[in-house]
Amino acid sequence: MNPADSTEPARSHAGLLWLGAALVLWSAVAHAGGVNVRVTDATGQPLPQAVVSLEPVTGRLTVKPDPWLEVSQVRRQFGPQVSIVTVGTSVVFANFDTVRHHVYSFSPTKTFELKLYAGVPNVPVVFDKPGIAVIGCNIHDQMAAWIAVLDTPYHGQTGADGKVRINAVVAGSYRLKVWHPGLTGATDGVVSAVVVGPNDTDQGVQLKVGDNPLAMRL
Amino acid sequence: MQRSLKARIVALFLGLLLVVQVVGFNAIRASLSSHAHRELPGRLDVGDRVLQSLLAQRAQRLTDGARLLAADYGFREAVNSNDTETIVSVLENHGRRIGATQVALYGTDLDLRATTGDHLAALGPLAERLSRLAAGQRPGGSDASQGEIALLSGKPYQFVMVPIKAPVVVGWVLMGFSIDARLVADMQALAALQVTLLTRTSDGDPWRVELSSITGERADGLASHQWNRDVVEAGMASVDVHGEELGVHPSWLTTPAVADAARQGGGVLALTSLSVDEATRIPHDLQVALLVVTLLSCALFGVGSIFTAQRVIKPLHRLAAAADRLGAGDYTTPMDSENSRDEIGQLAQSFERMRVSVSAQKEEILKLAYWDALTGLPNRAQFRDAVGLALAVARKNCGLDGSSASAPVAVLMLDLARFKHVNDVLGYRFGDMLLQRVAERLSQQSVRDGDMVARLGGDKFAILLRSGDGELALAVANRITNALDAPLTLDEHTVDMSAGVGIACWPQHASDADSLLSRAEIAMYAAKQRSAGALVYDPTIDASSAQTLSLLTEMRQAVSEHQLRLYLQPKLSLNTGLVVGAEALVRWQHPQRGLVPPMQFIPFAEQTGFIRVLTMWIFEEAARHWRMLHAEGLLITLSVNLSTRDLLDQDLPQKFDALLVKHQVPAEAFCLEITESAIMDDPQRAQATLDRLSALGFKLSIDDFGTGYSSLAYLKRLPVDELKIDQSFVKSMEADPDDAKIVRSTIDLAHNLGLTVVAEGVENEHVWNMLRDLNCDQAQGYHMGKPMPADTFSNWSVGWLAKHRPAVDVAAALMLH
Repeated sequence: MNPADSTEPARSHAGLLWLGAALVLWSAVAHAGGVNVRVTDATGQPLPQAVVSLEPVTGRLTVKPDPWLEVSQVRRQFGPQVSIVTVGTSVVFANFDTVRHHVYSFSPTKTFELKLYAGVPNVPVVFDKPGIAVIGCNIHDQMAAWIAVLDTPYHGQTGADGKVRINAVVAGSYRLKVWHPGLTGATDGVVSAVVVGPNDTDQGVQLKVGDNPLAMRL
Repeated sequence: MQRSLKARIVALFLGLLLVVQVVGFNAIRASLSSHAHRELPGRLDVGDRVLQSLLAQRAQRLTDGARLLAADYGFREAVNSNDTETIVSVLENHGRRIGATQVALYGTDLDLRATTGDHLAALGPLAERLSRLAAGQRPGGSDASQGEIALLSGKPYQFVMVPIKAPVVVGWVLMGFSIDARLVADMQALAALQVTLLTRTSDGDPWRVELSSITGERADGLASHQWNRDVVEAGMASVDVHGEELGVHPSWLTTPAVADAARQGGGVLALTSLSVDEATRIPHDLQVALLVVTLLSCALFGVGSIFTAQRVIKPLHRLAAAADRLGAGDYTTPMDSENSRDEIGQLAQSFERMRVSVSAQKEEILKLAYWDALTGLPNRAQFRDAVGLALAVARKNCGLDGSSASAPVAVLMLDLARFKHVNDVLGYRFGDMLLQRVAERLSQQSVRDGDMVARLGGDKFAILLRSGDGELALAVANRITNALDAPLTLDEHTVDMSAGVGIACWPQHASDADSLLSRAEIAMYAAKQRSAGALVYDPTIDASSAQTLSLLTEMRQAVSEHQLRLYLQPKLSLNTGLVVGAEALVRWQHPQRGLVPPMQFIPFAEQTGFIRVLTMWIFEEAARHWRMLHAEGLLITLSVNLSTRDLLDQDLPQKFDALLVKHQVPAEAFCLEITESAIMDDPQRAQATLDRLSALGFKLSIDDFGTGYSSLAYLKRLPVDELKIDQSFVKSMEADPDDAKIVRSTIDLAHNLGLTVVAEGVENEHVWNMLRDLNCDQAQGYHMGKPMPADTFSNWSVGWLAKHRPAVDVAAALMLH
């Protein structure tokens, strides 16, 4: 892991932290509890960068778009490789390389194409449908990035230890959804039921991830 | 001959060469064949690996192409369009770009999403296998996988499958490429092997030729072979295709499991094949090289063998020519001196030695053949040739001159008298010396240049007188007899030699050499018989001449047709003048020729033996007349001459005796006259006959006494009663006192021996008186009476008595005293 990469999640998480603080405040008001999820791969090893989200079994949560997300291209790699945004969030694909990139997505979640460009494109890409968008570069086949577009405020991404905590979750029944790029098949993720009470809830999820594309690339 | 020898040598050389060439050629071929057979499995194995490698390369190439295609942005964009028609069209379009005729799109779960055809549903398991293979591949890495080969509607396709990445795998593209002739062409180019692809859609079907680098017919033949699993797994097979042996390495291109899974059976079979015949065939350039070597060596050997044959045959040819010369009698030309020391040179030297030797022997043989070793004179053969040559020359001259008598040739032949006697008495050595001396004398007497004296053998000599007629020949003959008359003294013996000489002349007596010689010989024998010295040939003395034969016939006729007449010549007693006897003589009254004198047929009759017939005729006639004369009171003795042949006739006494009985005549009435020479021809037999005749009572008389050579001692032994003095003495006794002395001595001698003496040839009274004075007993001659016909004898006798009565009376009176 290089230092540059380590800064990127920090930067992108700034928004999340801010959002998280608000939720904490909100949950504290309405019997909010935390959900701790630990994700492992097929061999039982902690699986980092897994996308974890909670969706209420009934009803729908309102969610506001995130302010924006920058997915940069540095040294012919996307960064971050796996991102979480809420529906309607604009994503800026900033090119920090000296070469141009042709960023595209054929994913139904968001199909777009940014033809050969340098620097920061003028128009950000708005991800307005939930789902997983796979981002690639037409010029550099090895470049890949995933953007999980969620329509729930309860979500998080596992750290290096494979763990994530979702705070201030209003008590109720939820579908816990865990996704990782290494999941084979075009699935939205592994779903499990979870009931959130006033106290913290711990949940472990094992994903059948064999060849971790991220691990391979990083 | 030498041509065929040469041909044989050349044929032998070339034949051996060809044998060597054939053996070499076969060795090369066998070696190549065994090499090819050894190499065959290896080559086929390599070929199969090359084929697999080609297929793998092709698969890799196709995979690479397909992967590139799958990464095409537009392709990916279209595939992700979710519009089926668009997807199918992009599959078709992009598939066409890399030559894939079958393209199918699968989702990430290998669910078929689109296809350019409608076959691919059947290839689900294939797609799964391929996707696993593809997933296992590292991007950009090389793998020996040849993808999958499978049948689609009976056609073989090579399938590859690649993922579509955007950028993660969003699906799979399956691409199928028909296997085309390029594979076969590449195979041939790389491995120089034939490849045949066979297909069948199910196990029960016959194999079908899909592709082949060999011609259709042979490929079909190959396909018809029983290609079952066992055969294929054996790895190697030998297949007879239309008489051509093919080495085949079969291998499956389809995985049987796949085929089974596809529930189609069958599959694709690749046959890597190699014609064993072609592999074992001698390469063309080697064939050419061998042919060139063969032709060159044939030419070299041909030239070499011809040269060798020439070297051998040329001297042989010369030897053959030399041998031909020898065969033709040319012994004078020396051999071509061949200096070579080899076998042919030795042969030539042997030939040369043979030539010299044969030449010398020939001279010796010629000498033996043509010369008499004892006397050094030419022998009979040479003489005969010389006579022939002389006749030829004479004929030629005769022809030129145009006259027939211009150049006569005479041959003299002589035989020594009593030579046998000399040989017996004095020995052969003396006889040989005598012959040598005679030869000398003959050579001295003879003759002119070109004449030849030869010894014909024994005591017989011959002389050839070229251009000599009878007169000359007689002259020569007389010279010779005179020369021989001179006594020869040898080793203190003195020998009197005499010879009978016969003469025959060309062209009077003979027309060719042989008959000329034989006529001369006949004349010679006649001369000897008559003691005539020299005698010229006459047809009458020749028993074999045509004239003689006709004479003989005529004489027989003379006897049978009574042409013969008996004549009697009186014998008178000198003392009384009375007729005491008569000599019976024969005359021939020829119807045409008149009276033939005795000299013209008596000698001939003696020669031919007819004389015996004459003798018997005379004897019988004499006996008949004696009886008639006796009846008339005339008592006389009749004399009959006996010839040599009569004396040799053992039956003569009996025949005479029979006639005596027949005519009632006593033997004492006859006096048989024999010449000295007749007795001397065979004294023993003559004496035997004479003894018997004498015993019968015949009186015997020696005729022509004094001319022969009988010894008195011998005469004394003979039972003779009378001597007849030869008329030659009597006729000349008047003039020659010596002859008179001989006559007187003979008379005295005869009287002393108790014999009666008769003188012949009394021609006048003076002789008569002389004889009477010499006390000769009887006389015969013209003075008293010529031979007269027997019929007239009686009358003559009466007349004679009447004329000479007084004398008779006186005589009778004297006798009374």
